Order: sequence, then structure tokens, then C-alpha cells
Amino acid sequence: MNVLLLVGSPKGRRSASYRLGSMLAEGIRKRGAAVSKEMVHEGIRTEAGTVRLLDSVDAADLVLLAFPLYIDALPAPLIRLLERIAERRARVAAAGSPRLAVVVQCGFPEAHQCETAVGICRLFADRTGMRWAGALAMGMGGSVGGGPEKLPGGGKHILEAIGMASESLADGGAIPEAASALFARPLMPRWTYTLFGNLGWRMQLRKNKARRSLAYRPYTRE
Amino acid sequence: MKALVLDGSHEGDSLTSVAVLGMTSALAGRGISVELVKPRELAIAPCEGCFGCWTRTPGECVIKDDARGIVGSYVGSDLVAYVTPVTFGGYSSQLKKLLDRILLSVLDPRFTVVGGEVHHFLRYRRLPKTVGFGTLPSPDPDAERLFARLVARNGINMHQHPEVEILVGVTDPDAARRSAERLLDRAGVPV
Repeated sequence: MNVLLLVGSPKGRRSASYRLGSMLAEGIRKRGAAVSKEMVHEGIRTEAGTVRLLDSVDAADLVLLAFPLYIDALPAPLIRLLERIAERRARVAAAGSPRLAVVVQCGFPEAHQCETAVGICRLFADRTGMRWAGALAMGMGGSVGGGPEKLPGGGKHILEAIGMASESLADGGAIPEAASALFARPLMPRWTYTLFGNLGWRMQLRKNKARRSLAYRPYTRE
Repeated sequence: MKALVLDGSHEGDSLTSVAVLGMTSALAGRGISVELVKPRELAIAPCEGCFGCWTRTPGECVIKDDARGIVGSYVGSDLVAYVTPVTFGGYSSQLKKLLDRILLSVLDPRFTVVGGEVHHFLRYRRLPKTVGFGTLPSPDPDAERLFARLVARNGINMHQHPEVEILVGVTDPDAARRSAERLLDRAGVPV
């Protein structure tokens, strides 16, 4: 089985999406699959890179999309790739029917804020003849930048969810609902996340030696 | 009153072009000054996810391209219309590349609670009212529901309740204008 991990974060290999997607892909690889990884933001910049991405999708039995939530949806370059995949698959009669699974994380505490993005991916799969294989969606995604194993408690439930998902995907199935529910479980209480998040923005501002406050308004209404 | 119309069409998308005509004509008919932006004709790099618009140059993206000036137009408008082909229930990549660059910079990164969920504060006291105007070549209830849901979700982020209208297979500019009029009426835009 050929597995393709498409990373939709502009931060590429430095991103939480890459870490989470790679952990899922690695779990499937350990069960005998061949895995390749592509950074969408890099590839989509040129026509040659886009064609390489499209060829990779054509060669895959299972496509994993890993991306951060951008305004309730997918980042624009990933949407562009989906548009191009749909165009190619509409032209090619024997395009095959790979499975499509998704790993998405958002910066808000609530995992359910990823639901519209998951819905878009699911509809894409349906409209392009791909087979929907489920999603792992989590909130507080910014916390896993250093890897879930560095989280309090070792990110045990995330690792467990990814283990369940990779086993099922490797066996030709979809991500079990139990894995999705486990993955969506909050990493910490909401108040803790927002308190440290707000402190974090101020610390970043100071670190960057910004000359403006967080609330600065560069534009005014005439 | 000012309106910003964001045209998310790709080259050769006649349905969305008709929708844009309908929207601009309906707005002009109400005496509203219209600025039309076509992302496909502009140099707009994708958002780099660096949060520079929050923690380096708050309120302004660190990428100096055509998207920067549009943030000023957005802030200065009373209404913004997202006109887009409904793409798997979402926005086209053309519209999304602009929204990814605009919307973060008009938010203050600090968290607050809106409708029981965590979101961000608004950077400005008042942001333009949003309306979503989508196009589809044929009826697609799943895509229509998802598009309405997406615009509503975006609305929560901007602390508002946007209205949505979807044109299905409409090629007549007059019909598009009538749909735009209905949408603007629902959004409470004065005649």
C-alpha cells in the first residue's frame, strides 16, 4: 500500500501538522506500507511542483491530509491543490479511488471548531471519487508543536488515538470514531490554555521587540 | 456607505462573474460606493502562519504585497461581500488566499468567549458586515449547507451573524441582481 502524507501547513516540516501527520503515517508504515511525504506550500508554488503533487496523489492508495485550521477551513494553497486534483480526476476516466483521511488541528481549545474543514475534505472526497476514511481533529493544536510526547502526561491519549487510527487505516479501514473522540479530548482545561495563550502573545511581542501593542490599530475608518 | 466586493472567481468562471455583476449593481442601486477586488489579478502570497500580524507588526501582515492595502479597504468598509464559486462547500482558493491574509490582522490575538466558544477579540471596534454570495452550476444541498455553515462560522470569529445566498446555475445578470437584493435586504443594508 502506498501512503501519501500531504502537509498543508506553511511551516512544513516545522509544523504541528507535520508532526501529527508523520506519527499517523509512521504507524501505517510499521504495518508494511510505503510512505511518502509532500509539503503542499512548497510544491504548489510552481507548475512543475504541482504536477509532482498530482502525480503523487495518483500513485497513492491512501492520502493523508494534515493541516492547521485557517479561518474555519483549509489554508488556501491546500484548497488550490484540491481544486487541481478535482480537475485532473474529472479528466481521467480511470483515476482509481484512493482513500482520504484527515488530521486537522486548530488554535482554539474546542476540537469541534474543525468540523467545517473536515466537512470540506469529506465533500471533496465524495465529489472526486475518493473514499472517505475519517478524520482526527483536535483543539489547542499550538501546544503540540514540540511533539505530543512533551505534553503533560506524555500526550498519552493522542498517541493512543493515532495508534488506533493507523492500525485501522493499515488494515484498509477508516479512522474509528473512538480514535476521533480520543484525539479530540482537550489537552488541558480551557482556562489554562487561554491564560497561558494570552501570556504567550505578550511574551512573543516582547521577544520580537515590537513597537506596537497587541491591540494596535494601523487603519482607521474615514 | 462603502462596500468591498471580493471576487473569488477563477479565470473563465462565468457564473461567479455574473454573481459579481449582480452584487455590484445591487449595491450601486442603493447608492453604496463599491470597491471590487479580484484576487486572481493581484499578487497575493499565501499566509505564512508566522503570526507576525499579531506579534511583530500588530495589525499588519509582514508580507508586503497587494493584500496589505486591502486590509485598509476592509476596515474602512461598512459591508464586505464574499462572492465565490462554492468549492467543496467552501470558498475558492482565490478568495481564501485573500481572506487568510486579511482576517487574522483585523483580530486581536487575545482570547475571549463568543457564543460559548473561545475566539479572539476584534482589533477594531467595528468591522464590516459580511455577506456570503456563492455560486454553483447545479443544485448541491450538501455543498450549500456546508457553505452556509462556513460563512456562519466565520461570522462567529468576527463577532457577527452573516447572511448567505447561493446562486444555482444563474447566468442572467438581472436574476443575479434580484438574489443580491434579497441578500442585502436580509442583511439589513439600507435601500
